[in-house]
Amino acid sequence: MRTTARVVVPIVLVVALSLLLEGHNLPGGGFIAGVLTTTAFALLYLAFGLDFLERGVLGREVESGKAPSRDRVVVAYRRLFAAGLAIAVGSALVPLFFGVPFLSQTYVVLEGVPIYGHVELASAVVFDLGVYCVVVGGLLTILSAVGAE
Amino acid sequence: MTTVVIAPMLVVLVTAVLTLLFGSYPRLRTGLALAGTAGYALAVALLAWTVVLAPGAPGIATYQVGGHPAPFGITLVADGLSAFMLAMVATVGLASAIFSTRYVHNIGYDRRTFYNPLFHVLLLGVTGAFLTGDLFNLFVWFEVMLMASYVFVAYYGGPQHTRAAFRYVALNLVASAVFLLAVGGLYATTGTLNMADLAQRLADPAAYGIDPVPVVGLFGLLLSVFALKAGLVPFQFWIPSAYRAAPPPITALLAGATKKVGIYAIIRLSFTVFAGADVPISLSVPGTDLGIAGASPLAFVGPVLFAMAAASIVVGGVGAIGRPSIEGVFAYSSIGQVGFIALPVALAAAATSEQFRRLAVLAALVYALNHALAKALLFLAAGAVRSATGTIAFDDLGGLAERAPALSIAVFVGSLALVGMPPLSGFFGKFLVFEAAIRAEAGGALVVLLAGSLLTIAYATRVWNRGFWGAPSTAVTDARMDRVQVAAVVALAAGVLAVGIGFDPVYEFAEVAAEAALDAEGYAEAVDPGGEAA
Repeated sequence: MRTTARVVVPIVLVVALSLLLEGHNLPGGGFIAGVLTTTAFALLYLAFGLDFLERGVLGREVESGKAPSRDRVVVAYRRLFAAGLAIAVGSALVPLFFGVPFLSQTYVVLEGVPIYGHVELASAVVFDLGVYCVVVGGLLTILSAVGAE
Repeated sequence: MTTVVIAPMLVVLVTAVLTLLFGSYPRLRTGLALAGTAGYALAVALLAWTVVLAPGAPGIATYQVGGHPAPFGITLVADGLSAFMLAMVATVGLASAIFSTRYVHNIGYDRRTFYNPLFHVLLLGVTGAFLTGDLFNLFVWFEVMLMASYVFVAYYGGPQHTRAAFRYVALNLVASAVFLLAVGGLYATTGTLNMADLAQRLADPAAYGIDPVPVVGLFGLLLSVFALKAGLVPFQFWIPSAYRAAPPPITALLAGATKKVGIYAIIRLSFTVFAGADVPISLSVPGTDLGIAGASPLAFVGPVLFAMAAASIVVGGVGAIGRPSIEGVFAYSSIGQVGFIALPVALAAAATSEQFRRLAVLAALVYALNHALAKALLFLAAGAVRSATGTIAFDDLGGLAERAPALSIAVFVGSLALVGMPPLSGFFGKFLVFEAAIRAEAGGALVVLLAGSLLTIAYATRVWNRGFWGAPSTAVTDARMDRVQVAAVVALAAGVLAVGIGFDPVYEFAEVAAEAALDAEGYAEAVDPGGEAA
């Protein structure tokens, strides 16, 4: 289980990242990337236990028996959720200042970028990033709150 | 672009996010929530004024979210009907938000922090449902509204709240599935979900090469979903437990706003979308002469909705009489009152003359406004009594009139508005509903309406006798009423009175709304799904 998790988690995270970045014009997007990221975290939780993130990765001391929703990691998840919502709504509001409808999107194509050559920068990525944060934050909050009970 | 159309939604959306971001600062959060709701009311007022009420106003305005043209993008449409509904919700929402400021501080951390964001998400869902011009988008807004209300029904987390929430969630998930099924079926049948496009295609199915017959059944499915949201019999059974479980300011919003979404959806889809549909119907009960025949799906809406409304009036009224608590009475009462709203809609659906149909829809709208104001008032009052005395059971109450005169007068006004006394808003609501029934020469409707009114008098009297008159009980003597809570209730009572006394502008607004509901052509023209004008 732990060996599998060590191998699989990085792969899952990279795939999630690629889904997030190309989601605006290929299959993928913020939602599915967020779900995939959450599964990577779920795998970690299953293999190493609920406190692994804080104790093993961040090197913090964990008080056991604390209310799960006030746990530091969970507080961080909730912040991520709120920040994601703010990013998504903020990115949807920006077009209004340019006199175009709510949620309008645009893109810029950059030519001659080293290595990549042709790069398309889409404003939809910002919205997707917000969705991604909401999904990751929300699902992980649920996962750790329910998991701790 | 007419940003004013989307403004109410943006205001509540931004408020929800801000209150979530600043959740750990109670004062800031409460201030933001209040300012956001006031801003919402302003945005709604601006929308109603510029689009509908101002001299020379266009009467209808559309907004294409993301700039994608109809029928492909999501269209938001603000017309008289939407504006009327929004104005009603904004009034109730504002009172409920003021009440909430004094209700949230004494509950646990998590509940306190998430109360305001969820409150505004609930408002957002309601607003979206009123503004959208797309059937699938309507489904989405229903879900937004439901998600927030699920949390609120389970809010206190006790056994009875969990039970109520479980029932509520299970029922609404089934309803959502049915809704989605109907939406999918409509798309498969007609090839569009934009309401204006749908209306145009159904009016002339041959030109678009579609076979519209399945639409009748699919519309039946939609009707049952909306009846469930509105709490009409036989889908009323989730209401009493859910209304008792939710916090009182939310119950006020559920009764005053989300219920009306069901009614709104019935009116909008029946008259704006399906009224012009060219689908001959002929159904009959095998072996008898009983049957329904007509030229559009409206033919079956009339009788079916009539039966539901009549049953709601009776079930709600009879159920309300025996309840042991204030909130219980009002929860059952709102089943009956929605029957009063749905009955004229049923008469309108069965009507043949355009003029009568407008009168009946107008009656339903005025009654809906009255019910929203009066019932929100009464639920807030029940909440104020609960926070002051710790109980709402009749056995522990009595003599509130002596201890809390201002609140009692407000409740008195609210009860009389339910009963339908002049010069309150309820009088005109009842008057118009009766007028519609008389003009339709529907004897059965009159009998039901009279019986319902008598039942209303009976349970309103009982609330007054058991809760407010008599010698103060121990719980009442020790009570300390919260001034802000009482002020919110009194403000709504003033609203009920103001609507009754200055009824003329309200009537005109409702008339514009009823016209807008019936004006399928104007709706389709404004949305312009074919893109001819563009």
